[in-house]
Amino acid sequence: MRRRALLPLVVFVALLGVWEIAVPLLDIQQIVLPRPSAVAQTMVQTAGPIAHHARHTLETTMIGFAAAVVLGLGLGFAIGASAAVHDGLYPLLVGFNSIPKAAVVPLLVMWFGVGTVPAVLTAFLLAFFPVAVNVAVGLATLEAELRDVLRALGASRWQIFVKVGAPRTMPMFFASLKVAVSSAFVGSVISETVASNAGIGYLMAVAASDFNTRLAFSGLFVLAAMGVVLYGLFAAIERRMTAWAYTD
Amino acid sequence: MSGPPRPLIELDGVTLDYVARGGRTRAVEGITMSVPRGACIAFVGPSGCGKSSLLRLVSGLVRATAGTVTVDGRRVTGPLTNVGMAFQNPVLLPWRTVLGNVMLPLEILKENRARLAADRARWEGRARELLRTVGLAGAEDKQPRELSGGMRQRASLCRALIHEPELLLLDEPFAALDAFTREEMWDLFQALRRARPFTGVLVTHDLREAVVLADSVVVLSTNPGRVAHVHAVSLPSPRTLADGYGAEATGLIAVMREQIRKAQA
Repeated sequence: MRRRALLPLVVFVALLGVWEIAVPLLDIQQIVLPRPSAVAQTMVQTAGPIAHHARHTLETTMIGFAAAVVLGLGLGFAIGASAAVHDGLYPLLVGFNSIPKAAVVPLLVMWFGVGTVPAVLTAFLLAFFPVAVNVAVGLATLEAELRDVLRALGASRWQIFVKVGAPRTMPMFFASLKVAVSSAFVGSVISETVASNAGIGYLMAVAASDFNTRLAFSGLFVLAAMGVVLYGLFAAIERRMTAWAYTD
Repeated sequence: MSGPPRPLIELDGVTLDYVARGGRTRAVEGITMSVPRGACIAFVGPSGCGKSSLLRLVSGLVRATAGTVTVDGRRVTGPLTNVGMAFQNPVLLPWRTVLGNVMLPLEILKENRARLAADRARWEGRARELLRTVGLAGAEDKQPRELSGGMRQRASLCRALIHEPELLLLDEPFAALDAFTREEMWDLFQALRRARPFTGVLVTHDLREAVVLADSVVVLSTNPGRVAHVHAVSLPSPRTLADGYGAEATGLIAVMREQIRKAQA
């Protein structure tokens, strides 16, 4: 366990070291690729604004994600429980999901203006699909025997859902959360990059227009850290909530 | 009223077609038979003879295409309530403890919920006692994944019996167990029946199991499933393993094996 936590960290630090040495060695211009130490310096210097923008990104991500979880759960349960809803809706959902969401951002901006709303909506649009699909699959793959056991006891469809369907779906639901939160994060950053005046995505866009590579890399590192933490958080929640689903 | 008591289960000319892609498949055809209250009947036959379909017909999980199924004097038109079922796969709920799994049937039907609410301690005591009977004392608070296959199947039997059903339907319940465990389960099944009588319908491909557990064995032919032969098992009850491997049982098994071989051809 210790090794599994430590080893990626060692590799990460080693890569940073190689990078640090390679930039002067290969005579790469700082404006093309700054050294990690220079990026760290910028991060410390602009810690205040970065924290402000990171908080904004985190908020839009979490609002979009929360909405996606609620709708994804509802939609997933409906699709998994009813063949008619599945047949009518699922192909549309797949079609919708195959639209690159970056292409939707301009529309959202036309409707809601530059700012937080398009970011939240983009986060939501990217995040609800994995939740809905996982919940639907979990519910639809309920063992026929289990359903029979309950039906032979006189259980109604609702009782079968409450006693077996919903709890059995929980591992897949919680597994989808870590995917969904990453998707929401991607969504809000995409939208911020295109049309916002706050958030790390916005910060990156500004840095790019100023040719401020150091600031761009600062934003990138912060995004990476946030992404890892969000994913780790929901992976931990998953393990906690559905321990019964793992054979150890 | 005089005359013999009415059988618990009556099948009259029962035919079942499955409608699948590209047409209908006839699973069973023209089944007419009855099961007396308190008896245990076994269906044996080649695979695909509609054994499991018959069980689903009796339980009302599927409706007959033609003919009538009557249980306890009432025509079956939808799922029966308060029936106990067990399958080859014990299908325990992995998020519940063993005790929680056994208690599940009491949480479904209104009258059972009322019984449970009125005296939870009594029913929990009964669940623990059932678990003790099947040799699972001390496993009440374990998770199903901590149990062996045989232990899970025992727990599944307890779940099928906790609500004191009049009718217990078993679809190859011991087929996935090793030979020793299976033979233990035969003893256990008889002990459970002695402790609280119920009417049993057993589907199995194990002829010896059918002979040990059932009062009569129905041999089905295949494609579609029809009643080919009915054998009354006259061995004394309770039956020991020695009875199951004795001359009479072995003779009957040989006869049935030949009949099934012919039914397949």
